[in-house]
Amino acid sequence: MVWRFAHRWLGLVAGTLALVLSVTGMLLALDPLRNAIQAAPTARDMSVATLAQRVQASVPGAEEIRRQPSGAIVVYAFEDGQARALRVAPADGRVLGSYQPSLLPRWVKNLHRTLLLDDPGRVAAAVVALAMLALSVSGLVLLLRRMGGWRHLAGPVRGTLAQRLHVLAGRVVLAVLALSAAAALYMSAATFGLVQLDAAAEPEVASSPNGQASLPTGQLPLLQNLRVQDLRKLNVPAADDPADTWRIVTIQGQGWVDRYSGQTLAWQDATTAQRVHDWALLLHTGDGAWAWAVVLGAMGASIPLFWVTGVLLWWQARRNRPAIEGNSPLAQADSLIFVASESGSTWGFAQALHTALVAAGHRVRTTALEHWRVPPAARHVYVLAATYGEGQAPTHAARALDAIARQPVTSAQVAVLGFGDRQFPAFCAFAEALDQALLAQGWKPLLALERIHQQSAQEFARWGQRLAQALSQPLSLAYQPRLPRTAVLTLVARQDFVGGAGEPAAILRFALPGRDLPRFVAGDLLGIVPPGDQPVPRYYSLASGTRDGFVEICVRRMPGGVCSTYLHGLQPGDHAQAFIRPNPGFALHRSRQPVLLIGAGTGVAPLAGFIRGNVRRRSMHLYYGTRDPARDFYFGEELQAWQAEGRLADLHTTFSRTPDGGGYVQEALRRDATRVRDLLARGAIVRVCGSRPMAHGVTQVLDEILDGLGLSVARLKQRERYAEDLF
Amino acid sequence: MSTRFLLTTVAAACALTLPSMAQSRPVTLSTTLKNYGGDGAYLAVYLTDTKGAYVRTLWVAGGKAKFYKHLADWNRLSASDGKRLQGVTGASVGAGRTLKVTAELADALIDAGYELRIDAAAEDMRDSPSEIRMPLSSAQAGKPQAGKQYIQSFTYQLP
Repeated sequence: MVWRFAHRWLGLVAGTLALVLSVTGMLLALDPLRNAIQAAPTARDMSVATLAQRVQASVPGAEEIRRQPSGAIVVYAFEDGQARALRVAPADGRVLGSYQPSLLPRWVKNLHRTLLLDDPGRVAAAVVALAMLALSVSGLVLLLRRMGGWRHLAGPVRGTLAQRLHVLAGRVVLAVLALSAAAALYMSAATFGLVQLDAAAEPEVASSPNGQASLPTGQLPLLQNLRVQDLRKLNVPAADDPADTWRIVTIQGQGWVDRYSGQTLAWQDATTAQRVHDWALLLHTGDGAWAWAVVLGAMGASIPLFWVTGVLLWWQARRNRPAIEGNSPLAQADSLIFVASESGSTWGFAQALHTALVAAGHRVRTTALEHWRVPPAARHVYVLAATYGEGQAPTHAARALDAIARQPVTSAQVAVLGFGDRQFPAFCAFAEALDQALLAQGWKPLLALERIHQQSAQEFARWGQRLAQALSQPLSLAYQPRLPRTAVLTLVARQDFVGGAGEPAAILRFALPGRDLPRFVAGDLLGIVPPGDQPVPRYYSLASGTRDGFVEICVRRMPGGVCSTYLHGLQPGDHAQAFIRPNPGFALHRSRQPVLLIGAGTGVAPLAGFIRGNVRRRSMHLYYGTRDPARDFYFGEELQAWQAEGRLADLHTTFSRTPDGGGYVQEALRRDATRVRDLLARGAIVRVCGSRPMAHGVTQVLDEILDGLGLSVARLKQRERYAEDLF
Repeated sequence: MSTRFLLTTVAAACALTLPSMAQSRPVTLSTTLKNYGGDGAYLAVYLTDTKGAYVRTLWVAGGKAKFYKHLADWNRLSASDGKRLQGVTGASVGAGRTLKVTAELADALIDAGYELRIDAAAEDMRDSPSEIRMPLSSAQAGKPQAGKQYIQSFTYQLP
């Protein structure tokens, strides 16, 4: 809770300022690249004396020689009243050109480190760096929680696009961000004098004239011993000051040399603080290590990405958490609803339950799960719990199990309702853990644990019916999902089928409505909003993508189904309200791995969409079960055409209601075990679409087949090679 | 920076340390910087005696101690002066601007072989120790001198 809270607010507040630092930082990362390109090579172990000699030969009036971190040699000279800064080739002392410290105007750097506000700005920038460090640490903690520990850190990331981008980028740049922020803090500390970089005091030194001329540069022992690669700068003694000395600064320290005798007058080792500062400078600026500068620049680019996705995540969670209306005081409530929700979506269901119970005459109180307390007046306790990551509790309810264990058991009856997504291996695991803990503690059950898949309003309504029976009173649970913006689709064609089980089915093709509908691919879901006062959208798997130029679904009319009946009544030219719900876990990603498609009935629709879009002739294998080729062989002709075009490698059909039809689709898989095993051994991606019993049968058969490979369907799901779209 | 700004920083460098000075007068030091195209310059204005030994710091422009090593001569010569920054510091001086400071100097220091010196430095540019060296004498007063790198003109006025 505290980590998430800190991460969220630091990100929103400091992250906004960090945008300025990231953009300027990205620009500043260009300088090390330019410097690396400009730097002329230095022979390894060349002495400073040699370099100084060459420089003095080619640059009259040279006063200071600096070696930049990139290796570039810069000479400052004063001649004929003119101050000059020149780049020099160390190999021969040749002047390469004049020296400009940066490609960029100075304000970019000043904006980066002072926000153009001088010292207050420096403090602000340092605070942002501290916040970035804290964000990295809290981000790591949240990342570990989400992924389920260090072992799973590199595992596949699920969730919405914003979530995945945030987590994927975080996984990559977290360490770089932390390192860069820590380096920035050290540099700030040095700037504000909190870290002392220099040795106590510089020694009092002067050259002692001995009546002879200055020693030639090449004969100075200290300069002969020091290497150019360690050089920071060398000051030539002033011509008009006989007592002036040579002064040389290297990575190791600094020394002063008598210009006449060549004696080293004093040497000070670099302090540890100075060496750490050198490293901090390298790590933060990348100057002298251009590849690192590229990494830093990429990190700079990632910060706006973090900020945008982070704000989106915060906004989504906020929007999804409704303020509960009509909450009763805790002591008077007879019904308590506790909510554990990661993204906030479960609160909408809580509100629906709350409203229904109030309408049925109950005094209801709804709170977050971590506030678990059951006063004696409470008769019924409802727990609505989502699951996070690999079966953990949502962050805010992380300690809920402890809190529940501390409170006494009352005579109230408990019902646990889990929310999750069957694509996750730990579907509703937290709700299960809660249910078991409550029962083990001695709470009496009101209803057995129920699991809601993908926020299904229908499953929730069915649970409401069971609840009404248990309470012996009428109850209508109307969960009203917030609908996205819909587009108006026009039906252009329909292909009717008698249907396998008494009810007809149809393939409906709508025209693309233009910009109103976001881009979609086969396997995404089309939400259809039937007309009515309280429309509840129904979702249909798409058999086409935007690229196909139309919107196509396959709909079986359900007995009493509001939406399917409505769709079946549509004639070409009629309109329907619809929106897209992405289904990224199911849609196919581009790769060369073979694809094993398994579907039954109308479940073939998204699979047909995959095959239709297979213009790259990826190896696709379809196992397709229906009842009767004359009644419900959806996409039959198209599939044969696509096979002829090479979009489909092979087609295996079974017809369960015709003699010698081959039975169910899982039986075909079992018969083809060798071929299927071979495909899976080659890394095939599996997509299953159809009814739950069919999917269950398929899982059993595939587990048998996979056993020989040391794999299982669960393992394939973990590796994102296996996904289901079930109804 | 096309427009030439004139920033006047008048600061009374007070509290002379030498107790025996009966007679002293305010000396106005004026330093105008070139448009050298860099960040604000750090300047150290100080006084040395006939032997070149450090006497006193008159002004230090720039507040970050970590950059003082770039004012190399001053930093070295004044190292043993624990009070070298006391009451004589201000902001760094931008390119093209003028720093004007007033220092109370004993009459005995004038025309006695003492020298005014200025070290200058700016970030990412060369250090310029002893950018200015000018005898403290009635004859030199009011005569501008240019530095190598940063200083367009330096003058002082004796009242």
